Amino acid sequence: MGQVLRGQQGAAMAAFVAIVAAYPLIFSNAYLIGVGIAAGAMAAGTVGFVLLIGYAHQLALGQAAFCIVGGYVSALATTRWGWDPLVALIAGALLAMLLAYAIGKPILKLRGFILAMASLALQLLLIAVLQEQEYTGKALGIPGVPKFGVFGIRLDSDLAFYYVTWAFVLAAIVVGLNINASRVGRALKAIASSEMAASSVGIDVTRHKVQMFVISAGMASISGSLTVHYLRVMGPHIFDFAYSLNIVTAVIAGGLMSIWGGALGASIFIAIREIVRNAGIPYLESIVMGVLTCFVLIAFPRGFAGLVAGAARRLAGAPAASAAAGASPAPRVEAEAAPAAGALTLSGVSKSFGNLRAVSDVGFAAPAGAITALIGPNGAGKTTLFNLVCGFQPLDGGAVAFAGRDIGTLLPNEIAALGIGRTFQNLQLFGNLTVLENVMCGAHRHTAAGILEVSARLPSVGREEAATRARALECLRFVGLEAAAGRYPSELPFGHQRLVEIARALALKPALLLMDEPASGLNDTETERLADLILAINRLGVTILLIEHDIRLVMGVADHVVVLHHGEKIAEGPPDEVRRDPQVVSAYLGQ
Amino acid sequence: MDFATFSQFALSGLTTGCIYALVALGFVLCMNVSGVINFAQGEYVMIGGVGAALLAAYGLPLPVAIAGAVAAGALLAVAQERLTLAPVRTAPLFIQVTITLGVAAILRMGAVVVGGRDPLTVPPLTGDGVEEILQAVVPTQTLWVWGMTALLLAASFWLLMRTDLGRAIRACSINLHAARLMGIEAERLTLVVFALSGGTAALAGAVVAPITQANWLAGLEFGLKGFIGAIFGNFRSPGLAVAGGLAIGVVESLAAGYVSSAYKDVVAYGALLIYLLLRGGVFVTGRAALAQSSH
Repeated sequence: MGQVLRGQQGAAMAAFVAIVAAYPLIFSNAYLIGVGIAAGAMAAGTVGFVLLIGYAHQLALGQAAFCIVGGYVSALATTRWGWDPLVALIAGALLAMLLAYAIGKPILKLRGFILAMASLALQLLLIAVLQEQEYTGKALGIPGVPKFGVFGIRLDSDLAFYYVTWAFVLAAIVVGLNINASRVGRALKAIASSEMAASSVGIDVTRHKVQMFVISAGMASISGSLTVHYLRVMGPHIFDFAYSLNIVTAVIAGGLMSIWGGALGASIFIAIREIVRNAGIPYLESIVMGVLTCFVLIAFPRGFAGLVAGAARRLAGAPAASAAAGASPAPRVEAEAAPAAGALTLSGVSKSFGNLRAVSDVGFAAPAGAITALIGPNGAGKTTLFNLVCGFQPLDGGAVAFAGRDIGTLLPNEIAALGIGRTFQNLQLFGNLTVLENVMCGAHRHTAAGILEVSARLPSVGREEAATRARALECLRFVGLEAAAGRYPSELPFGHQRLVEIARALALKPALLLMDEPASGLNDTETERLADLILAINRLGVTILLIEHDIRLVMGVADHVVVLHHGEKIAEGPPDEVRRDPQVVSAYLGQ
Repeated sequence: MDFATFSQFALSGLTTGCIYALVALGFVLCMNVSGVINFAQGEYVMIGGVGAALLAAYGLPLPVAIAGAVAAGALLAVAQERLTLAPVRTAPLFIQVTITLGVAAILRMGAVVVGGRDPLTVPPLTGDGVEEILQAVVPTQTLWVWGMTALLLAASFWLLMRTDLGRAIRACSINLHAARLMGIEAERLTLVVFALSGGTAALAGAVVAPITQANWLAGLEFGLKGFIGAIFGNFRSPGLAVAGGLAIGVVESLAAGYVSSAYKDVVAYGALLIYLLLRGGVFVTGRAALAQSSH
């Protein structure tokens, strides 16, 4: 499947270069080349916007703030300070990225529409401040911006500027495609699907969002600089609130989930704008843009690129859903840490939600190398306890130690990075990734390619991907699902989906595996197979902590049982002993 | 700094603050029942002003013109919900939110087409007189704005806290899914809330227009400032949103009066940015940030 996609990308790239190269040859009058420059200047920014909205799912309503930064830096530096336009463009982009980092770093920890609001506030603030500054020409702005140039060579002809502009777009697209095809792109898709599951495999959700915000700010700034060299003037109202809305519309119209969608959307948008402008009816432009926004979003939420991709797929026929076959090494999944490293110790752990004490002063140890089962009636606080251990909730009191280290204040991704894997009671597979990619996400903590290496697609990145792929296939083989590698989770029966989650957790090479009701929803045969699988994982040296309702499964596999009731530990010991404990019997059967 | 000047700035800020507060309330209520931040909210204020101005210019008695403008606001809001939000109920939220921005652009430009670009005037309800309050001189119409705001807020809170409809709205805001399971028809509720917030915004716009004039561009500003008020209320608390809206009106008016009229936006948007940064970065760290959502 990877090959198919690469083939499609290659064809798309060839088509893109051909169209961009041919456009000025076909439409050679000055006006139409100008339109081409305007489209390119916008597209240089919208490609980054796809990464931010489509991939990181962060709607920035004031993204034009960074166009303002780039625009003013370029205008000031070239008219007042005598800088080379290219140097000014780069300086603007760096400043925009710094600003995005300063804002994104603190606020992207929170969920929801916070970036939408903060970026909007930034944009309106910049406009309000700039239109009062004497130095930046107040509301009139800075006229006399020179034509664009590269290292002292002025691009006097519009044709040359056209090609330079689209070279920036091409560079942005290449960076976008490289990110898309990397561990970072995979992590972003995982985050978009389930932030909780993504952090459970060690993906730093905040960091990835901040990276995309910073990259897209840089691209927006470049877009602003190019636009200013095209307009030859910069003022506070060139990139206003309506422009922010326009780039959102353009990106969504082009297709949010495709890097190409950014360039496509900007081109369509500028084309329609010019057609409407030339119609010469006053106000028509704004109304048409408003109607277009609503219509496109309601009718094609996947955008134009989505339509094209869908049509291409129908023409090519559905890709074969088979895993890449290769020389298969012996199915072997080894745990990362030496046995005895996986011990988990809880002491005095408490958590309340309002007046409800969900977990109250619970302490027990899951000894390294053993299978410990956590049982209790519904509402006993088992899943809450898991969430406390995995870092999804702050502790009210008590301590959690893993391999002798206090992990009570760490974040979920930091905890996963220590080698604690988990599966979820309600499956949290990444629906937008294939089974193989799901499992590859599990290996995230074992890969290191950073955003810069990934963007430039260094050779080391490719080698690491191949190793990750091999490792993920090994884990799939271990749970017996190798054949389903190329399919999407929703195409598999429920029992198999549970196995995919287990394989994903194994790809983490956990020293400790937390399993939340792995048998729920499984039939008897599947449960038996699950018991064998749990024992097999344990034999690899993985310490296991299991929440389970299926008492036969617990009795069959557990070395040690802890019983919770109303948030408190009421019994602990070997399975046979616990089963006879009168308190446990009464908790399960009622007084 | 004498008291009369201060009072003058503060009271005129309170008047615009009233409108921001009502818009903020509309933001919060729409958000709670539909999950969507309706960025067209401020445009209904503008519709109220422009609508009342046009109808009054057409020769209708003022109360009838205002009633007509309110009806227009409510009907347009219902149309917005039915035509642009109901069909995409299952689409990702940011798509729905962006659509509301598109609707705002349509309403804005529609108003230009119908009413033209020049600001329109609406006659005051009870003459052109002025009143002296706390050493400040304000148009008599100000009293109408305050009174109407107080009445609308009282009615809204009575509705929210004392009626089945209000209970249903609050239930939706706490847990939309559970509210549906309890038999609350969130769809119908959404329609009612959109109609109410469209209507109240239009009423606010019609009553404030004699002071500010009715301007097709005004919706943008009312919407953004009301939006900031709603953020201060965390998009959950109607009371805090109203307080936030009023506070923004007063603070920006004081900033405009004492510093420079140009800096009133700098203060409002700067305060918002600092607030968001502080809430995200300084006071919330570690796991607590995971548990907190931004709306």
